[in-house]
Amino acid sequence: MSGGKGVKRNGISRRGFLKSGGATLAGGAIGIGAAGTAVASSESSPPAIARLLRKATLPAASGARVVVVGGGWSGLTLAKYLKRFNPDFDVVLIDRQSAFVSFPVSNAWLADQVDLDFLSHSFFDAANNHGYRFMAATVLGFDRDSRRVFTEQGYVDYDYLVLAPGIEYDYPRIGVDDPEAQELLFHRYPGGFVTSSELLTIKRKIHRFRGGTFVLTVPSGDYRCAAAPYERACMVAAVFRRRRVRAKILLLDMNSDIVIKREGFARAFDELYGDSIEYLPSSEISALDVDARRIETDFDEYEFDDAIIYPPVRASRLIEEAGIHNPEDPQKAPDTDPFRYHLRNDEHVYVAGDSRAQPFSKGGHTAHSEAQYVAEVIAAHARGREIAWRSPQTMCFSAVDIEPLRAMSIITYYKYDSTTGLFAFDRTHLIDRWDTQGGQASLAWAEGMYRDLFYG
Amino acid sequence: MPMSARAKLGFALALLLLLAANTARALEPITVTLEFQPDLADGRYSYDICARCHLPEAWGNDDGTYPQLAGQHVNVLMKQLLDIRSGRRSNPAMQPFVQQRTIGGYQDLANVVAYISTLPMNPRHAKGPWPPGSPEHAEGEAVYATYCQSCHGAGGEGDNTRAYPRLQGQHYSYMARQARLARDNLRRVDASMSALFTAVSATDFDRALNYISHLPLPAADVAPGVDWRNPDFQ
Repeated sequence: MSGGKGVKRNGISRRGFLKSGGATLAGGAIGIGAAGTAVASSESSPPAIARLLRKATLPAASGARVVVVGGGWSGLTLAKYLKRFNPDFDVVLIDRQSAFVSFPVSNAWLADQVDLDFLSHSFFDAANNHGYRFMAATVLGFDRDSRRVFTEQGYVDYDYLVLAPGIEYDYPRIGVDDPEAQELLFHRYPGGFVTSSELLTIKRKIHRFRGGTFVLTVPSGDYRCAAAPYERACMVAAVFRRRRVRAKILLLDMNSDIVIKREGFARAFDELYGDSIEYLPSSEISALDVDARRIETDFDEYEFDDAIIYPPVRASRLIEEAGIHNPEDPQKAPDTDPFRYHLRNDEHVYVAGDSRAQPFSKGGHTAHSEAQYVAEVIAAHARGREIAWRSPQTMCFSAVDIEPLRAMSIITYYKYDSTTGLFAFDRTHLIDRWDTQGGQASLAWAEGMYRDLFYG
Repeated sequence: MPMSARAKLGFALALLLLLAANTARALEPITVTLEFQPDLADGRYSYDICARCHLPEAWGNDDGTYPQLAGQHVNVLMKQLLDIRSGRRSNPAMQPFVQQRTIGGYQDLANVVAYISTLPMNPRHAKGPWPPGSPEHAEGEAVYATYCQSCHGAGGEGDNTRAYPRLQGQHYSYMARQARLARDNLRRVDASMSALFTAVSATDFDRALNYISHLPLPAADVAPGVDWRNPDFQ
């Protein structure tokens, strides 16, 4: 042991944050040097530990270094616009995946309305086209005193750190507490909102389903992409209809009613899929037996042949493990300034995207418009300035039918009510009749977003 | 060193070609709007796709993320649509929406710009921080008179025949953002505009934008109130 014991900071020991980030560190093999630098013991540590503690292979920073954690819609937008609003920034985007697959529009892909190429894009292209660096690595934790981010590829020092790590499933909220049972549930019946393997598994499921009962769930709380579970029920039903599979689709909604585009979806369930979709509101899930393929709600019990289980979500564990979360918040979101997005006591660490604390709708478009603002906030901060708050914009298309693709859309803004201290919806424009123009618009929207994130 | 006659001739020729190319480009929107008779009902139908972002009133946003389109000249709207379609004006998010496969051909573009130009304008667009009577407003007025008025008109009414935008009623925040983009070479503008960014300081330019944002709108072009909603979309 060369260093000594973990130093307690912000409620979590340095040793603690390295341990908790997903890597299994051999006990006692790691110490913290007096200057705050972690060093590995030469005799007992496996080579993997040494890798964690070296500097990541990146050229020396050409200006103030901004490290963006998470290459989703928020992180990609942040990286691009940080560089654009301040060309002197040296921007590094880190994601654990090496390629990007879009979750928005993936429901249309499940029903073969676009191909995988449409959804798939390269982080290299984004970085090359927009003048920043991409690093494929898993972020394990960070130290705010030394302004250092640790990854399994080594550490990176930052001037600004922007966290956009997104969401994780919160299985305990549907009565699945045991980590092994959670893992099994995740692999067998993935929700399709976090990793691209989930999407591939779901597509195979619905294209090979031989008939029977197919369960889909809608979580409660502020989950990712409010309309997606309803849209997905429509797309699954459309595929079964095309394949002439006799199936009953049980849509178990943990909410008391359809939460968005209510009339449009209700009409679609009724007019288009009356013989296949059974919509069951107020279905609070209390237990789930993976092997027996049985779901229990507060009032009923359902057996299924196959399922897509989308549980409630929470902010990425990275936030909680760093001790920057709000302990009162059931979704474990960070304790940040609602207008400036930085930690209340640290103007060099920001949180944006679906792990944000603000109650804005979680989804690609919201993250994209918000991230442009956050990038401008950070660029202004670096120049000692401030910019006026502006609302993110939520834009959301929902496909309800295929051949041809027909969709609805909604756009909404937010306003801050200083008397209640809460955000509320501002101007909203809903088109809840579905038509081919909406279908075309949804694809044009996605294409425009990919252009902005990766190429334009 | 004096230029040789041949070099002079070459220079003049190059200039002429450049001008011709510029004129041809500038004329494309005007040719389109002249050659296609707009159909407002079809324009309303096509605008449905635009309204999903620009909203049924086309009034833009106070924060400058969307411009006021209502009441804009058809040639100006057409030029922007064609520029975004071709990539001459970079707008990656909007680009797919203005392709033929999405919005349609020239006839559809002519319809939709005609429709937008007839919409009543936002009665409360975002104005700059310095009201009439302030020294900054007066400075802006002087800058406007010297550099802007000859093309954009004494009242900021623009010029449809030359595709010069109507500025009155445009959100200050939107104009300021576009000016910043153009100054940083992130938005391409035509030569007469880009020359201004050399001639006029950022501060003076901003004063002029403030002045423009306080220009009055003709009452007939403005919606009766901020709560007015486009009846075509009710």
